[in-house]
Amino acid sequence: MKIGRYSLNAFTIFLAGTIFFLPLLAAAEFSFRKPGGKGHSFTNYSWLLQQEGFLPALGTSLRLAVLSGALNLILMVPTMVVLNLKAKRYKSIVDFICILPLIIPVVSLAIGAQVSMPEFLQNTEYELVFFFVIVALPYTYRALDSAISAVDIKVLVEASRSLGATWFATIIKVIIPAIRSGIIGSLFLSFALAIGEFTLTSLLHWDTFPTWTVVAAQQNILGAIAISVFSFALAIFALTLVGILAARKKNQNLVLENEEVE
Amino acid sequence: MKLKRYSWLPLLPFFLFTGYFLLWPILGVTLKSFHNNAGEWSLSNYTPLISGAYRHAFATSIRLSIITSVISSVLGAFFTLVIVKNAGSRLTSIIESIAAVFANSGGVPLAFMYIAAFGAEGMFTKILKFFGWNIYAGRFTLFSFTGVVLVYTFFMTPLMVIVFRPAILGLRKEWSEASLNLGANTLTYWRRVAIPILTPSFIGSFFLLFAGAFSAYATARALTVGTVPLVPIIIGTLVDGNVISDQANLGDALAVGMIVVAGVAMIGYIWAQRSAAKWRQS
Repeated sequence: MKIGRYSLNAFTIFLAGTIFFLPLLAAAEFSFRKPGGKGHSFTNYSWLLQQEGFLPALGTSLRLAVLSGALNLILMVPTMVVLNLKAKRYKSIVDFICILPLIIPVVSLAIGAQVSMPEFLQNTEYELVFFFVIVALPYTYRALDSAISAVDIKVLVEASRSLGATWFATIIKVIIPAIRSGIIGSLFLSFALAIGEFTLTSLLHWDTFPTWTVVAAQQNILGAIAISVFSFALAIFALTLVGILAARKKNQNLVLENEEVE
Repeated sequence: MKLKRYSWLPLLPFFLFTGYFLLWPILGVTLKSFHNNAGEWSLSNYTPLISGAYRHAFATSIRLSIITSVISSVLGAFFTLVIVKNAGSRLTSIIESIAAVFANSGGVPLAFMYIAAFGAEGMFTKILKFFGWNIYAGRFTLFSFTGVVLVYTFFMTPLMVIVFRPAILGLRKEWSEASLNLGANTLTYWRRVAIPILTPSFIGSFFLLFAGAFSAYATARALTVGTVPLVPIIIGTLVDGNVISDQANLGDALAVGMIVVAGVAMIGYIWAQRSAAKWRQS
């Protein structure tokens, strides 16, 4: 029976690899093809850098993504800590609000933004930051919540306070380090979402990296594929790095716990 | 204990923020959809939705979402099982990273990736041709309904892996040990214990995928350029002014229609989550 099970696992991993890896590989190969002719080169990548819109669009996206990440942390970290520490009975309503962006189609939210937002906000691209934070809520909420539930934050805070630490010291030296993995995770998610967001940006008529890509594809599809491969490679690299960092931290904690037991 | 009454105060920024940037726009679009061009209360914006091209668009969107979420949820559930079982190996952690990136960064880059893989000159197409299957022999194009189904399946399967993983991780070792001790074999354990426990989570994930597929805009927009009539794409063309309607608020009515369909799916999701939570009490 064992052999059968192993080969089933191997088959599924093979299939998953085909679905996840091969398109990426295929796109990577495609992105190096010479336009028109045979053979491979960096032509499509150098084409990108020559485009006037490329760097400004990338700059706008990075700026919006940094602001979204920051606003997300400023809003959600205190909310989630307070929620788990002092206001547990509001948890179900916050939980519900944070799942709403999954229910409400982003297209509908974009139309709503055009109807309801004041003129001065609609005239600046920074209006997108607020909506990026909203759209990221289901993911950032879960990242923070699972990190906070994993540690007994109430006990940590009580211990720290009864040992004479001020609230400020408790937050900086106890709470933030304890939920570090959740903070990194939610920062990464909100950042990645803001970099790749297309629906709101396009429907509200702003120009960022993804909308620029779609326009550029009409001129040079190989260039657009090169952009896509590049952004995926970057995101997967970053996420694997976050995963490794989080795992290392966890191992350290385990070592500490074992030492305490001894 | 007097303090307890004000425990919601630190949550005020959150409620104000989500109230203004989430609930207020939705309220705005809903109210506007019930007003006609003259600004009077009316249901006239909704009449085009129950017949003709717009009803067809809703039907196409719903059909696409059902087909893709059935395929993706089944495939994704299998992958999740294997990934969780082999957790820790380098391959599975890379697969997990890729799944997270595909599921979250979504949209535009994915569409171009599949154009590269499955286009007439793509590597996938060539590999399949090598094995004797020319996918372009019939009327298939990546820009047709079947093509969209294919691409959606590729980005929703990773999403399934992400959302279904907690359920599989929640299967306690004690349960399988207990059932084995009581004389069950592996098959019986799956049939009588694991599958009944996983079913609510599976159904919940299915509804989540459905809502995701139904609302997806970026992929379809980058891929089809309007060749497949999907509701989000039609709303997009109305907003961009590419299609002029004599009803100024038709787009708002379509947007509310989308919220209603996605809302029905979400009721299913929440119900399934509740049933699944029964087993997660420790």
